Amino acid sequence: MRKYETFFIIDPDLTEEAYTLAGDKLKGIVSANGGAVLTYVPWGKKKLAYPIKKRNQGLYILMEFGGGPELVAELERNMRLDERVLKFITVKLEDRFDPEKEEVREIVTPSAFEENEETAESEAGAIEEDEAGAEAELAEAEEELDRE
Amino acid sequence: MVVRRKRRTFQRRKVCRFCVDSELQIDYKDGKTLRYFVTERGKIVPRRISGNCAKHQRVLTTAIKRARQIALLPYTTIHTV
Repeated sequence: MRKYETFFIIDPDLTEEAYTLAGDKLKGIVSANGGAVLTYVPWGKKKLAYPIKKRNQGLYILMEFGGGPELVAELERNMRLDERVLKFITVKLEDRFDPEKEEVREIVTPSAFEENEETAESEAGAIEEDEAGAEAELAEAEEELDRE
Repeated sequence: MVVRRKRRTFQRRKVCRFCVDSELQIDYKDGKTLRYFVTERGKIVPRRISGNCAKHQRVLTTAIKRARQIALLPYTTIHTV
């Protein structure tokens, strides 16, 4: 068994009900294919760096699970078909993974519909001040690169 | 007469930020940290400018590319036609 994580974006215009349904479907696919869902954490609504399917926002969800490579193929196939899923990425975390050893962390499914935007922005602002010097240096370097 | 480019007045020794601070992890899901290592246009900042060590730059590059896939970082600035 291997340990994977799938980070995916769900349509933010869905109702809360439809959103839970979509999550349950994906979790169902994992367990139906001999896998075990370890965590299912909504990251909240975020602004996308570029529009996907004409949407500028997305609900990010991180799911960690154990399973084989066939499971990943099946999960990704379903995500591609599912119109509620805008985009996904699956990353292998561990090659050998024993689900018995790892305690199954609580699967949190709070409402992901609250905006995370504000906190993120203010934090970024604070760090930016420290880095102002470095940023200026970078900007300079970029100009240099563009000339090349 | 050859016009020589003005030398920079100060040259700070660059150190790899990830080597200095072992708490700082490179994670493709952490768009905020990764943003320091891309330019405003979204290009990856080269090692000679960011000062990262080879090992961390390699990991960072993968992380940035993954972050682009999941729309945490832009591939490029959005063009208006």
